[in-house]
Amino acid sequence: MKYRFTKKAVLLVTLLLLLLASVGGAAAQDPVTITWWTLASAESPEPAIRAVVEAFEAEHPDIKIDVTIMAESAYGDLMNTALGAGEGAPDIAYFWETPWLPHTLDITAHLEADPDLSRDDYFEEYFNNWAVWDGKVVGLPFTVGANFVMYNKDVFDDAGVDYPTADWTPWDYIEIAKALTDPDKRRWGGDRPRGPFRAIWRNIGATKPYSDDSATVDGYINGPDSVAAYTWLWDLVDSGATPTPADIEVLGTEGTGPVDLFIAGRLGMATLNNGHMITAANAGVNFGVVPEPHVPENERFVHAWALRASIWAGTEHPDEAYEFLSFWAGPEGQRINMEIGALMPSLPSVLADYPDAESDYFQGFMGVLNATQTAEWRASHPCWRGAVIRSVSDAWDLIMLGEIERDEVQATLDALVEPAQAALEECVPRLGG
Amino acid sequence: MRTDDRALSIQQQLRRSAAQRRRRRLVGHALVYALMIFLALLFMLPIFWMASTSLKAPREIFAWPPEWIPSSPQWGNYAEAFGKYPLARYMLNSAILVVANIVGGLVSVPIIAYGFARFEFPFKHVLFLLMLSTMMVPGHIKLIPMFWLYQKLGLIGTYWPLILPAYFGNPFFIFLMTQFIRTIPRELDDAARIDGAGSWGILFRIIIPLCRPALTVVVVFTFVWVWNDFLEPIIFLRDWDSYPISVGLAFFQGRYSVEWHLFMGATLVSILPILVIYFFAQRHLIGGLASIGIKG
Repeated sequence: MKYRFTKKAVLLVTLLLLLLASVGGAAAQDPVTITWWTLASAESPEPAIRAVVEAFEAEHPDIKIDVTIMAESAYGDLMNTALGAGEGAPDIAYFWETPWLPHTLDITAHLEADPDLSRDDYFEEYFNNWAVWDGKVVGLPFTVGANFVMYNKDVFDDAGVDYPTADWTPWDYIEIAKALTDPDKRRWGGDRPRGPFRAIWRNIGATKPYSDDSATVDGYINGPDSVAAYTWLWDLVDSGATPTPADIEVLGTEGTGPVDLFIAGRLGMATLNNGHMITAANAGVNFGVVPEPHVPENERFVHAWALRASIWAGTEHPDEAYEFLSFWAGPEGQRINMEIGALMPSLPSVLADYPDAESDYFQGFMGVLNATQTAEWRASHPCWRGAVIRSVSDAWDLIMLGEIERDEVQATLDALVEPAQAALEECVPRLGG
Repeated sequence: MRTDDRALSIQQQLRRSAAQRRRRRLVGHALVYALMIFLALLFMLPIFWMASTSLKAPREIFAWPPEWIPSSPQWGNYAEAFGKYPLARYMLNSAILVVANIVGGLVSVPIIAYGFARFEFPFKHVLFLLMLSTMMVPGHIKLIPMFWLYQKLGLIGTYWPLILPAYFGNPFFIFLMTQFIRTIPRELDDAARIDGAGSWGILFRIIIPLCRPALTVVVVFTFVWVWNDFLEPIIFLRDWDSYPISVGLAFFQGRYSVEWHLFMGATLVSILPILVIYFFAQRHLIGGLASIGIKG
């Protein structure tokens, strides 16, 4: 009896041990789940996102991707809430806002140890300006974007005006815009810049709002080059060849430029980007692309960007997260998005295979891609937008609203030196020079 | 004879003045109707523009002069919109959320309001003020704590964060309902109590049947708010197939442009349930609002 009991007990314990071992073994083999928040867009539609996940999981059976696909207009609120709460943020996401940068993981070591991917694989300026912060690699540039001038060929033909060429100047822009404007057709020649010290400011005179050492505003914001740029803006507004800010607000697409007016043929020229280019091409618009105008003897600048794809600093699986990040923002992931969506990859080797690479508009885009970026200066001067530009917005508004005369531009800028200097001195100790 | 003439004249005058009054009334009515028709058309213009845009090609949407009725209607826009995103599924999800919230409101609000309106208990007025004060806190401020709380509870990615609050009472509805119940004579409660009814019996047999106008307001407002809610679903939901229609529509607004023709088609379809419910509930809704004292 006792022997039978012992035998049963041994059997039971053995079974339990086996069960525990199998459970433990299963736990050790459980795949790691990486959470990923992303956006559905024309460049990267939902099927492309699903295809990236499928391809990655096929290559990495030990890693599962839990993807949340969001609408563009929802993304900022979602990220701000999760980062503000300090938990619940995704392992991988776009960290495009500057205040989100401190929440990114430094992946410098991961990238250096990666045998399949290096920073040299990317467009150099896009990598340096958008993936590096405070000397650390904080993400990988996913896609590239740039501003350029799109011109509606039908509108030019209708007005009997020659198409613009890459060597045009800012003053040519105003003359062409005037020639295209037709009040009877409610048509404007061209749009207005959407802020100072972007590409056209740099193209007119390499204008900067303050000195390279972040110490002095006087002589920069009100210097001769800046005055020339603001005066050019005054002339453009005065020409009546551009829609007013109210027109753009009412008729244009919110926050994304006047692409709707351009597509409708009511705007002859518009400073848009490659996303708009795809939209216009899909709408059947007959258009061309040229770089933003510049003064021939000056260096050409471009307002360009990349989407920063990063790992959240609070991730519990940094290695697995990097595996996925380097797949998604690496050649495989960007190629999938280019082929299924309309992504412009940030890797020259992948972009070379762009399906519509022979088109005029794609060639035009490639023409601006490698110009010096305005971000080169801005990226190392965090105070330029947050403090200084805000403090001088009065000059912009007064000109936009036609509230000052042409010969008052210099005096208006002189009057703004003091508040801009104060803003700079307050900002530099806080954010760095 | 003279008397007869005078009587005839008075009769004629009376007839004339009656005819004049009728004419004046007719003109008055015609003017009022003309004004109402004008206002109705004015208010319908955006919906008409929406319908018109939903049938246009992208190049026609902002063209000048505007084409109110598209020369070649693009009916395929509707199929494209519904094919691009699972909008039918999103509408079903919205309907589920609406029903769950309405049930929650109908269960919780009358009970809480009944308590505030009919019972005396310690700190009643303080609690009522405290409840009212939650209405003054902007919703955005609560987002991060709510996100943190639901994250701790493991409810992110489920419908619970969008449903649970309704079962704890909406302060706005509780306030309305409390005021409404206070207008019901207490003698009815007393009579029911003499007949042997308890507090729950009084609530379900006397108070709630008399609160139909206020409950209609709860139902319709909940429907509209939940159907249109955008912020909370984007914060709390994670699954592509679980989004409500308000989030689904946002997919038509991309980083660089809006697909207006598809967006308008999808929006037009998405507002149909609201129009239908308003059509059927408007008599109760207007009566309910008037009886509670809400204007506009």
